[in-house]
Order: sequence, then C-alpha cells, then structure tokens
Amino acid sequence: MAQVKITVNHNRCVGSQLCMHFLPAVFEMNESGQSMVIDANAADITSIIQTAEQCPQCAIKVEDTSSGEILFPPPGLGF
Amino acid sequence: MNTTLLKDDLMATEVIADPHSYYRTLRENERVHWNERWKGWVLTGYKEAVDVLRDADHFSSDRMGYLESELTQEERESIAPIFNVLKYWMVFRDPPEHTVLRMLLNKLFTPVAIERYRPMVRKIVQKALDKVVSNGRMEFIRDFAYEVPMSVILELIGAPDLDRDKIKEWSEAIGVFFFIKADEPRRREIACEGINSMVDYITPLIQQRREHPGIDLISLLISAEEAGQLTYNDVLATCVLLVFGGHETTMNLIANGTLALMTHPQEWEKLQKDPTMIKRAVEELLRYDGSVKSTVRWAKSDVMVGDKLIKKGERLLVSLSGANRDPLQFDDPDALDITRDPNLHVAFAHGIHVCLGASLARMEVEEAFSGLVRRISCPKLEKTAKLDYYPSVVHRALKSLPVTFQELK
Ligand code: HEM
Ligand code: SF4
Repeated sequence: MAQVKITVNHNRCVGSQLCMHFLPAVFEMNESGQSMVIDANAADITSIIQTAEQCPQCAIKVEDTSSGEILFPPPGLGF
Repeated sequence: MNTTLLKDDLMATEVIADPHSYYRTLRENERVHWNERWKGWVLTGYKEAVDVLRDADHFSSDRMGYLESELTQEERESIAPIFNVLKYWMVFRDPPEHTVLRMLLNKLFTPVAIERYRPMVRKIVQKALDKVVSNGRMEFIRDFAYEVPMSVILELIGAPDLDRDKIKEWSEAIGVFFFIKADEPRRREIACEGINSMVDYITPLIQQRREHPGIDLISLLISAEEAGQLTYNDVLATCVLLVFGGHETTMNLIANGTLALMTHPQEWEKLQKDPTMIKRAVEELLRYDGSVKSTVRWAKSDVMVGDKLIKKGERLLVSLSGANRDPLQFDDPDALDITRDPNLHVAFAHGIHVCLGASLARMEVEEAFSGLVRRISCPKLEKTAKLDYYPSVVHRALKSLPVTFQELK
C-alpha cells in the first residue's frame, strides 16, 4: 500500500469530481463541492499519481512520506 | 444603467460595451435576479455561481433536451442537423453519460499531456510574430490572436492544411444558433448550414484516420470508438466541438488580455521584466476580462440559490464575468493585478463541465504573451480606432483591435 501524503489545494480545486471518479476510495467531495482525501492508503502509488495528473487545476500534490520527495506535480507544471 | 437593468436587456448596446458595470450594478442590487425579458434567473455573485456550477445533482446542462421540449414537431425537424450533432456534445450532457465521456477525453487534455505541444505552439507564435513585428502596426485579432489558436487546433486534429477561413465561417454560423442575436430570423437555417458543412468536411477526415491512424486527436478518438468506449456519434460530435470550441474562445482571450494590458501598461512592463510571472498573469487576464461571460443551467428540482427559490425547470444564467468581479471573493476586483494569488476565478467554469481545453488554452495564451512581451513594446490603440464588441451574451469578443507598437531588438 502506498506510503504517500496527498494534499488537495482548495485555492485551486474547482470541483470537477474527476479525482473522485478515478479513485473513489481515495477522494470524496466535501459539502462545498471541493475534493478531500478520505484514505491515502486505499490505492497504489502509480494510480494515485495517474489520478493527480488528471486534475485540470494541478490541485493535487503527492509526496513520499518517508523521503519527503514530491512525486507530483513535477516542477514548473501547473500555474 | 438603472433603466437598462429594469428593462433586463442583456443585449443593450451599453451592456455589450461594458458588461462589468452592468453586472456590478445587478450584483449590488440583487445577486440572484429574475430577468423578465429572458425569463430566467441571472446570477452575478461568486458564491452563487460556484454553488450552481459545482452541483450537477440539482442543475442540468441538457440544453438540447430543454430546447427540444419547447419546440413543435415541425420546428424540431427543421433543425435536425444541429440536434443530431449537438446532443452528443459533452458540454450539453449530464451524468452519467457526461462522466464516461469526460473521463476518457480528459486524459488527452491533462496539463502533462498538453506540455508536449508547447514547442509546437512556441513555433506558431514566433511565425505569426515574424510576419508582423517589423511593420509597427497590426490588426491584432486577424494578424495574431486568430492565427495562434486556429493553427494549434488544426495541428492537434492532424489537419494543418484545412481551410481556416471556411472553418471560421462555419464556426460563426454554428455560433449564431446560441450566442448571437436571438432576433436573427434565419438563425436556425444559418446554423444548420454551418453544421452540415463542418460535418461534410470532418467525415472524410475521420474515415481517412480510421484507415491510416496517427497520433492526432481524431485518431485517439477513433481508437476509443474501436475499443467500444465511444459511439461514432460521439466521435463526430467531439471533433466538431473541439474545432468549434478550440479557437474562438482562445483568440478572444488573447485579444481581451492584450487590451487589458494596453490599458495597464505598468502590468505589461512587470511581465516584460519578469517572464516567470506569466502563469499568474494569464489567470488574472482570465478573471479580469475572460472570453466566456456566462453559461446556462436548468434546475432539476425546486432548489434554493442564495435567498431565492428556483423552481424545477427554470433556467439560470450564471454570469462568469460577474462572479469574477465579486468583491466578496476578490480584493479590489476591478483592478488588474498580474501577481494576484490565490485567484480561483470561474472563467473556465467550475464543476464537472470545467473547460476540457483549459490546460491547452492556458499554455497557448502563456506562449502568446511570452512571445509578445519579448518582441514588441506595449501596444497602443490606433488613434482613429473605436472598440466594438460582437452582440453576444456569452462571448466577450472584440470585432477588431488595430494597434501600433515598436519592435524590440
Ligand atoms: C480561453 C479559452 C477558453 C475559455 C474561456 C473556455 C471556457 C469554457 C467554459 C466556461 C466551459 C464550461 C461551459 C459550461 O459549464 O457550460 C468550457 C467547456 C469546454 N471547453 Fe472551453 N474554453 C476555452 C478554450 C477551450 C479550448 C482550447 C478547447 C478545446 C480544445 C475547449 C473545449 C471545451 C470543451 C470540450 C468543454 C466541455 C467540457 C465538459 O462538458 O466537460 N475550450 N470552456
Ligand atoms: S480533479 Fe482537481 S479540480 Fe477536480 S475535484 Fe479533484 S482536486 Fe478538484
């Protein structure tokens, strides 16, 4: 199981629901229609990164909890 | 302004010329307002816009379904060509069909996927600029703003040699159907002709790609069809939607953004001095004077929006421009500040229909402005020029933008 920390930046999330549809075990929408992480361990790292990539707003950050390395987004991506 | 408000005339000359003042007055008076003339609700606040756009359970985008229910059998037949394509456009579909289409197409338009087109776009920008910079003047829209997105979308569908002027003409014809004056008596015929011509043009292209697949968007759509994920109708409609939606909105943003910077030359200079500001700057240009002013939803059941009860079946015009200037969300909203951060505007909408092409549009506009500030001084409006916008509730579209400038060596 993944050892990652996932954060959703609510200054960027537009509530597309895409992350939730791709990984419903990990993401859910809160009452204001933005994404939140319900279980970062419910999927493998590859699927989590692939899902973070789908975010049109680059709002999802994935970090390796042991090394602190940012697995997504790569530097310079997003806005 | 108040008399216009009372008349609820969203197409009044002064509203088209300066929508921001009209929507500000409306927002200050009544954030959720029943427009008697349009027979629907007009939303000008940020929170209300976001509440509606993020809530596809209560608000439908099924424009074709609602339109169909209002027409007679005869009227329906007269616009069959439009219906048969537009009803497959994802932008007009609700879940669950929308979700399937969007999850599939989204993969082609992610920020990562779009990066690979950046070098191609940079070249297109350079080429367009090479043609005009030494002249010291240009009609900005025709000579630059139009060139870039049109070349890009044709590259993406793998047909760089298609006749751009024809595509522009047909797109405008289709646009007449929903964007331009509702009182154009032949609007349905014009739109049918536009759609038929576009379909006739794209059909052989799809056929050709089926026989000789490439790495272009049409080939990718066909492989999804062959895998049973899309129908042929989805493929055809999506091609039309990408061509139609892919250039005009981006062209208008490049033009509106340039005009915004022309009237705030200190912001142009900031960007010129520090090109790393480009990403934030593009977000601010989208917020400040985005190219899509509004979108429409239909209430699926009785539902509260702000302090108003919206009845099942009633329609709502969500003013994206109004929301983007709401002081409850943005400090000093009428000021252009290219360093604004955070800047969670609604220029691409919010929720499940948030613009599929947003990453592509952002990258094109970044490249366009990076190229412009590198090659020319802050443009000035030609002395004799007068700014004039197309009469549309949806598009914020200048008719032309004649400018003078100096080439930077
Ligand atoms: C600055 C340029 C652009 C702006 C301001 C813009 C704006 C928008 C807005 C506001 C919507 C949402 C409509 C709604 O919710 O009813 C939308 C949807 C859409 N846009 Fe864009 N757009 C731009 C560029 C593009 C480009 C370049 C493409 C294609 C290559 C594109 C393709 C689409 C598609 C396919 C949808 C429907 C998405 C869905 O229903 O899930 N747009 N756009
Ligand atoms: S994909 Fe991005 S924008 Fe969409 S809901 Fe998830 S975090 Fe928000």
